[in-house]
Amino acid sequence: MTAKTTAAGVPYDAQGDMSDADRRSAAMRGFLHEFGAVAAAHLETCVRCGMCANACHFYVATKNPDYTPINKLRPFEQAYNRHAGPFAPIFRLLGIAPKVTVTELEEWERLIYDACTLCGRCTLACPMGIDIAELIKEARHGMYKAGLVPDRLQLMDRTARAWGSPATPADDFADIIREAGEQHGIEMNVDLEKADYLVTVAPAELTDHTKALADIARILNKIGASWTYHSEGFEASNIGYINGDIELQKAMTLRLIETAKKIGAHTLILPECGHAYGAARWEAGRWYDGKLPTRIIHMTEFLQETVISGKVKLNPINCTVSFHDPCQLVRRGGVRQAPRDVLKALGTELKELENHGDLAWCCGGGGGVVSNTRADPIRFKAFQIKQREVEDAGAERFVTACGQCRITLTQGAKHFKWDRKVESLLELVADNLAD
Amino acid sequence: MATPLLNPPAPGRTLGESLQQRGVSRRALLKYAAYLGGLMAMPASTTQAFAEGLASARRQSVIWLSFQECTGCTESVTRPFSPTFESMIFDLISLDYHETLQTASGEAAEEARLKAMADNKGKYIVVVEGAIPAKDGGIYSTIAGQTNLDMLRDTVKDALAVVAVGTCASFGGIPKANPNPTGAGPASDFVTAKPVIAIPGCPPIAEAMAGTIAYMISFGKLPELDQRGRPKAFYGETIHDRCYRRPFYERGQFADSFDDEGARRGYCLYKVGCKGPVTYNSCATLKWNGGVSFPIQSGHGCLGCSEPDFWDQGGFYRPLSASLHNLGLPLAAAGVAGVALGAGAAWTARRHLASRGQDVATPEGKKP
Amino acid sequence: MTLLDFARGPALEASLFIFVAGVIWRCVGTLLLPWRLVRVEPRKGASSPWVAALKGVLVKLWPYDTFAKSGVVQFVNGYIFHAGFAVVFLLFAPHILFIKGVTGLSWPSLPNNVIMMIGVVTAASLVVALVFRVTSPVLRLISRVDDYISWFLTFLPVATGLMAAAHLGLRYETLLSLHILSFCALLVWFPFGKLMHAFLFAFSRAVTGVRMGQRGAAI
Repeated sequence: MTAKTTAAGVPYDAQGDMSDADRRSAAMRGFLHEFGAVAAAHLETCVRCGMCANACHFYVATKNPDYTPINKLRPFEQAYNRHAGPFAPIFRLLGIAPKVTVTELEEWERLIYDACTLCGRCTLACPMGIDIAELIKEARHGMYKAGLVPDRLQLMDRTARAWGSPATPADDFADIIREAGEQHGIEMNVDLEKADYLVTVAPAELTDHTKALADIARILNKIGASWTYHSEGFEASNIGYINGDIELQKAMTLRLIETAKKIGAHTLILPECGHAYGAARWEAGRWYDGKLPTRIIHMTEFLQETVISGKVKLNPINCTVSFHDPCQLVRRGGVRQAPRDVLKALGTELKELENHGDLAWCCGGGGGVVSNTRADPIRFKAFQIKQREVEDAGAERFVTACGQCRITLTQGAKHFKWDRKVESLLELVADNLAD
Repeated sequence: MATPLLNPPAPGRTLGESLQQRGVSRRALLKYAAYLGGLMAMPASTTQAFAEGLASARRQSVIWLSFQECTGCTESVTRPFSPTFESMIFDLISLDYHETLQTASGEAAEEARLKAMADNKGKYIVVVEGAIPAKDGGIYSTIAGQTNLDMLRDTVKDALAVVAVGTCASFGGIPKANPNPTGAGPASDFVTAKPVIAIPGCPPIAEAMAGTIAYMISFGKLPELDQRGRPKAFYGETIHDRCYRRPFYERGQFADSFDDEGARRGYCLYKVGCKGPVTYNSCATLKWNGGVSFPIQSGHGCLGCSEPDFWDQGGFYRPLSASLHNLGLPLAAAGVAGVALGAGAAWTARRHLASRGQDVATPEGKKP
Repeated sequence: MTLLDFARGPALEASLFIFVAGVIWRCVGTLLLPWRLVRVEPRKGASSPWVAALKGVLVKLWPYDTFAKSGVVQFVNGYIFHAGFAVVFLLFAPHILFIKGVTGLSWPSLPNNVIMMIGVVTAASLVVALVFRVTSPVLRLISRVDDYISWFLTFLPVATGLMAAAHLGLRYETLLSLHILSFCALLVWFPFGKLMHAFLFAFSRAVTGVRMGQRGAAI
């Protein structure tokens, strides 16, 4: 463990054996790489109104002003003012924008990683339209370069770099698929040379929720689609995207898309995972000049188009249900209607949570927070916001469309001895296919 | 020769006695005192004292110096609107020297001035009309071979007090206006050892002069002055605060240009440059020509003529709230400067970012 | 030169120069940075970037209900200030004449007593905003010197304007000079502090509008 504490008693992790000076300048190099007109437009415009605070589950749950979203960007903004702003040379001359110190970076590690799920609720609240979530994601690039990342996330990063996935080596992937197929009696396709649909997975499916691997297979077989899993491109959750390891993010994204190209897939199906969608659908364009070689859709979008088109018929469930909107899918991803269409087609009566759709509260586990055990205390506090809303809605079942949200909410339920099951939309559809 | 007067008072006689001799009754003097006292907002109880002060005073020696002036101030205070009242001022004083009004000229006139100075040493009032040029030794205005500057300094040496009549003498007025080629300045610039009262205006209202002189003669002291040396009784309020068109200012009804609808309806003249809000004078109450009218009533904005540098305020038609300078060129230059500085800043930043914002290898030197 | 001459003359000229040059400097210096746009394949049926940009600017005029619950007082107070300041600055006849002198443009004005009332409300809303800032733990943490300077230099013209109109405390021409000089101070500070959000807010909102609009996501 590399767990340390600053002089002021703030815990942080540091990886690698860089000197303080090297860490500092690596962070600065990472930050500066992000600065441009877009980041500047945001960073120049904050009027310190504080409205972002009441949008953030970590602030609302703990009332700790440190968790004010714009506060999480302070070193990032300071670096901008010192190096890239329109008055930067004058600030440097007059000593108005001092250098960011390595201690400040260490103190901010927990604000950038533990206390932010990149959920983007603050972005929606900001009257100046500052995309705080996006900027924090950019700040993580510098923090990663400096080796100032929570240990657990760094571990997953190293694993993904070595194995292609934080969950399993690529070599073992095909076996896991076949086992899931056998367990649930579903015919699985893996490593086919040609297929129309490339199906990808997130670590949750390879560990906790392996049934999901069979669920999607069941549906694809039902509609007679040509589909496959592939060992060369299976991991969609993209820990590089979450950690700020842009090289890993690129490698993992390219693996998926190049594999899809290789097998001639017209559609790449992303798993029930929020960040997978953010990374593959909305950031892959970086490396393909804005023109994706294959159609990239989320599992929920696949379910919707399959169900709406009538390719599958569903047995109505006839119960009330509440839906947790995964932030990266709905608020940041634009897929707010698809899950509702599917729930309707399942014959459920949707009892919306008080804050739903684009304004839904985050489960509190995204952005790597659920994997970062150091953040558990505040994550559990934030969970209670969700718990209250679900209870107030009073539906019989509680469904979501992201494996990490499911894990986060389930862990929260266990922590507070709340007897609520958190279900997957994919599973609901797969279990209720009409013959 | 001394200045001839029709009925010069016998030496030793008081004002009251000389007035009686000329058929001006004590009652008339009381009425005059009441009138002047009312103008100066003196309490009614002091009217008696004011009148008695005047009655028992000796005629005050006044030496009236004329420098860079148009003689408009003299013209203003000698208007025969109410002969009984206005001519009284000349009964209250002994005008021992006045280049326009006196009959003497040349050496005789200068002798009269010097004699009056000697006879009334320490007790005469010097009235200054017009500004005093100071550049190049004051050569730009001379009388009898003497610069105005020297004449002023000589004359005030043994004076009781100095009254600067008109804006030129009070603040520099027209001669001081940009570019002020003669180095003109007000009397107060050159008189430091004696009290200087300012009765500004271009010209001043006659009553302001009359009331102030009468006050000084009767009470033997200066009236209460504002920080510019003007008697508060006449210069204590702005034109704006006493203007009859004020309700239109408050309601936002203005003349947008001369002779437009608003002008013909007698609306406020702020937009056509009226300086009423920052001009202290009695024009709005006492008015001119014996209370007939004043500029605003005639449809023209106040010029601010009783204030310093009113000629250099950007123009009589430039509204008070507008910038004094023409800003087109400076702001165009500012735009250019802004673009240059911004582009320069962005260029510097780009170079800075390019050299420092490179991707570096991961902490452990491994590539995925 | 009297204080009023100085205020109306060199002070206004210099401060307007600094204002114009500074605002343009800051905008150009920001906009000419490398754009670093992340290339994105937009969602089918997503609105064009220009429409999304406009939407981004407009949709922020009022907070979403859930945020309004906790922030509505502050938001409304903010609008009261902005609207009040705009009305007083733009609809008072002497101010319009000032603007006309600089730009050539003019328009009808409101009566003085209406302006005075709105001016008092504006001053009050500023005080309320300051109270928020010094009492909220969040705002106390994130506020900087800039916030307090900007508040003070915004409050001063409102306060001195009211004082001048009411002849409060000093001679009118002194109050008028102080009012103009306080405006000059505001102009000089404007490009360098958070008041620049007056120009930059649109850019920030538009960019977010485009980013999220491309995704068909909430703006």
